[in-house]
Amino acid sequence: MILLDYHNAVIEETLRQPIIGLEPIALDSKIVDFDGVSYRISTTPQTKSVITFSLLMQCFKELVQLGAKEMLQKEYGSYYQTQIEQGYDFSLQFDLQKLPEDKEEREALVKKLSLIKRDLLAIPFEKAFEQQAEFEKEENKNPPIITTTPTTKSAELMQIHYRDLEAIYIQAQNDRVTVIFSTLFKEETDRIFGKVFLQEFVDARRRPALQNAPQVLYSTKEPPLEIRNLPELQKAEDREDLGYVTFVLFPRHFVKGEVRDKTISQIQLFRDYLHYHIKCSKAYMHSRMRARVQEFLKVLNRAKPDLPSVEKKTITGKTMMRGA
Amino acid sequence: MSNTLRPYLAAVRSTLTAALCLENFPSQVVERHNKPEVEARSSPEVVANALTISRNENERVFIEPSVNSIRISIKIKQADDIERILCHKFTRFMMIRAENFIILRRKPIMGYDISFLVTNFHTEQMYKHKLVDFIIQFMEEVDREISEMKLSLNSRARLVAESYLLELYSK
Repeated sequence: MILLDYHNAVIEETLRQPIIGLEPIALDSKIVDFDGVSYRISTTPQTKSVITFSLLMQCFKELVQLGAKEMLQKEYGSYYQTQIEQGYDFSLQFDLQKLPEDKEEREALVKKLSLIKRDLLAIPFEKAFEQQAEFEKEENKNPPIITTTPTTKSAELMQIHYRDLEAIYIQAQNDRVTVIFSTLFKEETDRIFGKVFLQEFVDARRRPALQNAPQVLYSTKEPPLEIRNLPELQKAEDREDLGYVTFVLFPRHFVKGEVRDKTISQIQLFRDYLHYHIKCSKAYMHSRMRARVQEFLKVLNRAKPDLPSVEKKTITGKTMMRGA
Repeated sequence: MSNTLRPYLAAVRSTLTAALCLENFPSQVVERHNKPEVEARSSPEVVANALTISRNENERVFIEPSVNSIRISIKIKQADDIERILCHKFTRFMMIRAENFIILRRKPIMGYDISFLVTNFHTEQMYKHKLVDFIIQFMEEVDREISEMKLSLNSRARLVAESYLLELYSK
């Protein structure tokens, strides 16, 4: 399995029976997702037919500013609760008696719930892609007079602090959208392995099959130009373990529809994908070393002479015991 | 085998064979103690001159003989950060299993990556020439292992990057 799934399989599995099968069961489970996102799916002790679904996300406040609430209200309508479960960012409530009659609709609902984190994180991306389209439209209406200094318009930088010390920065410009990840490797091994992986991301575009893929840039210590003036990064300057990965997306990468959805899903999983493969290669090294050490041990044990295991008998037929 | 590796290993082999003539030697200083003199250093006259065999500035073997024990320390080639980390991981992996490797020292001496300590008790239990074989084979294979691990890391990284970017833009 090289690629990671976009949806959360546990949510899907948990909700299948009550929502798709309409069988009320007692539920109370906490489910975690990438980047410290956690969910709670529970029913009250009195009624098993009302399911509360709550979510906790580090960057939810930032997403609210970009319109997360509106998105949730639009997508989930009457399920959206004004009363939020304590310790969580928002709650949805599903009454099994009031769910749609059509089974396919309920299946779609479960699928949507398992993708809820992806949908929330997609808001800034969607917004940036729209801003870019607007810039382009404006430019086409009144094409700029050719001047010596080409003007590049850029929208406000959106910051999503989805983990402690790590963030995604998204900015729309007139011909592109720039997505910057700040990455932090806690361990030195991870840092070095990460460097190898990121270097390959940068170099991969040289291959003919990937000529049209988005450009990837990678820098350590020095933040990219777009985010250099952020106060939080000036503090973090000259930290060895911080790196910045920049994706430059051109309009062909976010053609509305399937391509756009796929790009958004894929890009926001970048960090998880990278770290997952770093862990995988560490595990592989470990099993390799285990095999090699076993082999070395065999070589060393060859140095031990085999002890003769012949039973020695005296002339009368008694077994001779050494040292006895 | 490259040009310099063969004479390097040959030199290590003959030095080890010569140095591995050990005998039982209880401490002259403390009664009823029998410690490897190369570690205990209780009487300087039983510790022979140490010897370094270098292949180049990054690869060398340091052999310290004494009357009842010999210490062999190896510096493994590390060209870059990846090799350094892989070498560290590999030697650490071996050293935490030192009790299985009877002659392996739990910690390398300063400036080296891995150390072996052979005492007269080991040479009494094991064939001397096979012990030498083991050390030579270790030196040969550790380099190969590290470079293979590095290659596999690189090829995995390439595959990972390619499949990610392909997913991001597939026609």
